[in-house]
Amino acid sequence: MDARQETFTAGLVTALPIGLGYFPIAFAFGVAATGAGLSGWEAAALSVIIYAGASQFLALALLTSGAALPVAAFTLIAMNLRHVLYGPALMKAAGGGAGKRHAWLWAWGLTDEVFGAALGEIARGKRFSEAGMFGLGLLPYAAWISGTVAGALAGGGALEGWPVLQAGLGFLLPALFLALLLSILTRPQVPVITVAGLACVAGTLAVSSTGGILGGMVAGALAGVLRRARG
Amino acid sequence: MSGEVLVLALVVGAANWAFRYLPIRFGLGSGGGAGGGDGVLARFLAAVGPAAIATLFVASSLPFVQAGAVAAPLAGTAGVVAVWVWRRSVVLATLAGAVAYAAGFALAG
Repeated sequence: MDARQETFTAGLVTALPIGLGYFPIAFAFGVAATGAGLSGWEAAALSVIIYAGASQFLALALLTSGAALPVAAFTLIAMNLRHVLYGPALMKAAGGGAGKRHAWLWAWGLTDEVFGAALGEIARGKRFSEAGMFGLGLLPYAAWISGTVAGALAGGGALEGWPVLQAGLGFLLPALFLALLLSILTRPQVPVITVAGLACVAGTLAVSSTGGILGGMVAGALAGVLRRARG
Repeated sequence: MSGEVLVLALVVGAANWAFRYLPIRFGLGSGGGAGGGDGVLARFLAAVGPAAIATLFVASSLPFVQAGAVAAPLAGTAGVVAVWVWRRSVVLATLAGAVAYAAGFALAG
């Protein structure tokens, strides 16, 4: 196994497709936020302080629909509950003795995509490091904030004249997840992946996209527990 | 900035930070922590990663499937798989998938 330690620079490079994927989505958020009546500062503040894409779009819907603040806050917090699983899963993969002295800072960047990329790096033999986590988290966060600001400044319809570019950018995140999936794919993981995918589809169709994501993760992880218990 | 937007952002942002950091702070998943060893929690956490990536792939792909377009998503998927098999690079495979999707979109359009 290649046990090279993940460096800050390597983390930045690994995060490049995530940043490229985040920018247009954040751009769309900036456009939507100003379209919903928020100022550019408010749009940027949501991206800086919340930093969770789907829940930021939901926040816009809740704010503009006049939802009560506690209801809006509870809904958005529930939506991000899945993040509780990421840190422990990452540290488990990193192994005993993995540094966490500065986790109070780098853990802020532990989004869905950064978590997946970090796990993929470990699966490919890179040794976990906090410097690598900073590199991995910094670029996507910067892309998210700058994309939001650019979108807020540009206003509506900025990408409408470039549909092919818009389409390609829109496929970056599915492409990233597929590449990550290929990078960790081993025979023992097939039941976990299959159950997670099916549960995600069922949960999305029956409940919501958030329900599908949470259900897929939990069902897949439980499949992993059951498989190993039998094995 | 309106007070309501700021308060909402701060409350939700604080919860996000807590969700992302506190499980690490309290050692869940670490070798010597509650998630270490070979217990049920350890096995659960070991399976969370692959399950999460599979779930996020499906969740991010579903809108493309539901939209009914076939050519561009197939081209994008083929682009990712082909470059992954060729170079074993997540970065290159991702970018190739986006380019292939855009090409498929342009040709089908």
